[in-house]
Amino acid sequence: MYTNYLSWLLLAPILLSLAAFSARWAGKLAMRVAEVLHFITILVVLILGLLVIQGVLVEGSVVALNDWLHVDALAAVFLLIVCVVGFLVGIYSIGYIRNDVRTGELQADQVSTYYGLFDLFLFTMVLVVTANNIIMMWVAIEATTLGSTFLVGIYGHRSSLEAAWKYVIICTVGVAFALYGTVLVYSDAVNFLQRPEAAVLWTEIVKNARALDPTLLKLAFVFILIGFGTKAGIFPMHAWLPDAHSEAPSPVSALLSGVLLNCALLVIIRFAIILEQGIGPEFPQMIFLIFGSLSVVAAALFIFVQRDIKRLLAYSSVENIGLIVLAFGIGGPAGILAALLHTINHSLVKALMFCTSGNILVKYHTRDLSKIKGMLQVAPFTSFVLLVGTLALIGSPPFNIFISKFSIFSAGFFSGFPLLMVVLLLFLAIVFAAFMKMASSAVFGSLPENITKGDVRISMLAPIAVLVILVLALGLYLPPQISMLLNQAALISIHGNAAADASISLLNFSNSELPIAFLQFAQLFGR
Amino acid sequence: MTGLIIASILAPFLGGLLVLVIPRAWIKLFSQAVALAAAACSLLLLISFASAGKTPATVNLISLGNTVVFGLVIDRLSVLIGLAFILVGFLIVVYSTGYLSDKNREHPEKEVERRYYFFLLCFIGSMAGVVYASTMLGMLIFFELTGVCSWGLIGYYDNEKARKAALKAIIVTQAASIGLYAATAYFFAVTRSLQLSEMAGLTESAKTVIFLGVLIAGFGKSAQLPFHFWLPDAMVAPTPISAYLHAASMVKVGVYIFARCLGSANGAPKIIGVIGCVCAIATMIYGFIMYFPQKDLKKLLAYSTIAQLSYIFFALSLSVFGSTLAFNGAVAHIFNHAFAKGLFFLVAGALSYTTGTRMLPSLRGVLAKMPLVGASFAVAALAVTGVPPFNCFFSKFTIFAGGFEAAKTEPLLLILVIIAMFESIGSFAWLFWIFSSTVPGEPSEEVASATALAPSMQAVLIALAGLTLVSGFFAANWIG
Repeated sequence: MYTNYLSWLLLAPILLSLAAFSARWAGKLAMRVAEVLHFITILVVLILGLLVIQGVLVEGSVVALNDWLHVDALAAVFLLIVCVVGFLVGIYSIGYIRNDVRTGELQADQVSTYYGLFDLFLFTMVLVVTANNIIMMWVAIEATTLGSTFLVGIYGHRSSLEAAWKYVIICTVGVAFALYGTVLVYSDAVNFLQRPEAAVLWTEIVKNARALDPTLLKLAFVFILIGFGTKAGIFPMHAWLPDAHSEAPSPVSALLSGVLLNCALLVIIRFAIILEQGIGPEFPQMIFLIFGSLSVVAAALFIFVQRDIKRLLAYSSVENIGLIVLAFGIGGPAGILAALLHTINHSLVKALMFCTSGNILVKYHTRDLSKIKGMLQVAPFTSFVLLVGTLALIGSPPFNIFISKFSIFSAGFFSGFPLLMVVLLLFLAIVFAAFMKMASSAVFGSLPENITKGDVRISMLAPIAVLVILVLALGLYLPPQISMLLNQAALISIHGNAAADASISLLNFSNSELPIAFLQFAQLFGR
Repeated sequence: MTGLIIASILAPFLGGLLVLVIPRAWIKLFSQAVALAAAACSLLLLISFASAGKTPATVNLISLGNTVVFGLVIDRLSVLIGLAFILVGFLIVVYSTGYLSDKNREHPEKEVERRYYFFLLCFIGSMAGVVYASTMLGMLIFFELTGVCSWGLIGYYDNEKARKAALKAIIVTQAASIGLYAATAYFFAVTRSLQLSEMAGLTESAKTVIFLGVLIAGFGKSAQLPFHFWLPDAMVAPTPISAYLHAASMVKVGVYIFARCLGSANGAPKIIGVIGCVCAIATMIYGFIMYFPQKDLKKLLAYSTIAQLSYIFFALSLSVFGSTLAFNGAVAHIFNHAFAKGLFFLVAGALSYTTGTRMLPSLRGVLAKMPLVGASFAVAALAVTGVPPFNCFFSKFTIFAGGFEAAKTEPLLLILVIIAMFESIGSFAWLFWIFSSTVPGEPSEEVASATALAPSMQAVLIALAGLTLVSGFFAANWIG
């Protein structure tokens, strides 16, 4: 039954996306038809996605298409992000694009293209997280680039075309490195696996990881980190990210930042797991620590000099992805749980912030922070949301990122990197300062001229309100289903699969290095 | 008792949220009621704690597995300080309802602003949270929340200067809070627990790391060198807010967390005492020197606060060398200074409310025109400089006695104690000079044209003056 859901989860969005493309021939109704089809797509993805996740909770994992699709707890965590953030941002899209059409930014016949691409993009990301075939993972990542490039450049301005061009070139070249790494792993695995066709399956490779050649594995991992790291926005391969994020329509930025980066990260983690099973965790952890710290440090410095609200948020994504990578580098149950929790939290907050920046763009017609002032008078709700989002993003209690950031740093102190943690905290203080400065100059201050008072339409506020509630709620309480998913996902990261020794739960302290108090933090007011 | 504490933490937060939605006309009354309820809870707590024989207790509220993530601590320290912070908070709310009105000559307000009461009430709740928290994490959470609330309030007037000052305040204090952040994470990593009581069993080196972190965070919040520079700028806040920041909130958080950790750890490594003493004395001297060029009454008070907090840090650091007397003096001084400095700021607020200025050269003859304000000025000035029978005398005296006690084992400390005494005498002389040139004599032009003070503000001045008289005795009895 869950197998069917999984198949449909992939089939439905691609069919509906094609339908949305063809809505352009519906004449005057084109826009409405495309919107309806888009809504159906995101709803179907949400429902099927949640059903598949339920399947994971019940059965441990869901497979389909001859094992080519495989959703385990680790994938389920990311699938949850894809379908929930995809849904909320998708809803926000409807209001945002209508506004663009009203103001003439987009032509009515471009709307069906937009929704077709949006849903295609969503499909490719679902494919990334559900893929079990390592070549297909690569194909899916490449497909996300192709799907989203046209979304980045949809406005057709010189700057947006340039950003799209930069995006497609850098990412395709980067991902080509990853192809090399993927092929290396495959060609090594095919030597000893009895069924050659099984050598492309991640689950099979992990089972036999010890037989892989250590040197080749290390080499492959470096290629994969550079390749998919480009896509995930890890410093120094992040160059495409600020341009693409700032030029894309805001809902697309939210999707790029909140979902796409994580998807690429998942693939890197998949390969890291192969390495950990094959040659032990030291090598990938060291690489993660180096790249994670570099990303945080570099992003903090870039953040400080940004004058464009969306570029600021884009660099903040680099910083947060850096933190997640760092937490994987810290390793151990504590580090991995903190990393996964931070992944979820960051994507919610970043989606919230990019949607809010969309509202600001609608009101002020500029991303220039020196011109965005006095929001409290112009758009009270949006400015309230901006404040909440900013506080959440910089890790202020009681919002969700506080918990995951604190968990990451506790894990770092526990695992013997106190000095590194203190240094990174100093850089985070720079980020903090930059964001507080942004929020206070945007929310307060005197009103610029030519701005009509009044908040944006309710259709652009409601999805944001839901995100605010989620951000606050996850700061106070983590539902047991999610904590169970995180728990199993961490097991997969450590042991290669959760099913083999499901009896060993991380919450069962006796078997792990550290009481998993981080989850308990997350459940703060839970019981 | 647990219920009372939870109520005094949650009531202001919930009230603050409600302020955002209730009709504007109700806001002032509602805020006062909420703050009164919280203050009543903390007072009832004090009474029931005293009648139960003052036995310290810890209540674990939220715990999972073996880790307590949030709990409450009920002991002499938290009950006493909690009362001061919440009670002053209530008085500030009452004063604000008068101060923030169209009759204010310095900053007339046409409309009741929701965000002011929202942030103020949340501030009171956060302060209660810091005081009663029994875990490092709880302390950290509320510590950060106080920063956010102060940011909202310092920038309240929403001009370029106010925004800058607010930004400065939050950035500086948050940068310093990395210390507490790291200390909490480290503490958790070492003990696998978040409860402060676990601190007693730590090794010396672990204690050193944690206390260093706490000290950095404390220095930031309490505006000590080298983080002092945000506090004088924060003067752009509405005066009741300045009063709260200086008397019973923001800056007191720093000394409180230090005191709380010292109490939990049964003393700290010597090196922490040395660092604390030296930094405190350096700040004290700096604050004292900065008295002289100040023309603005509020700025003068800001430097006075910096110096007074150095006294508290100094005393707490002395206690590291084995002087319980110094520790008790510090706790009493946190309590006493809350009322005295609160009163002093509210006097400054009353002057700017009635005359429209708070520049010292243009203020003369306050007593003749406004007896209540003049008398309150006298009480506040005498109390802050430690003249008997006002409250700060008792705590300062205890601190010096503690200093001499500690100096028996560490003779070098004697030098620092003597420097502190000189500062005390010097600041008395200077404030007395200010007082004598401002309060008595013929009213100056500005003072002569003063308008009437709002009744709620008068009531608060009287209440605080009364508390300034009695709190010294009370604190001495409570701790002793």
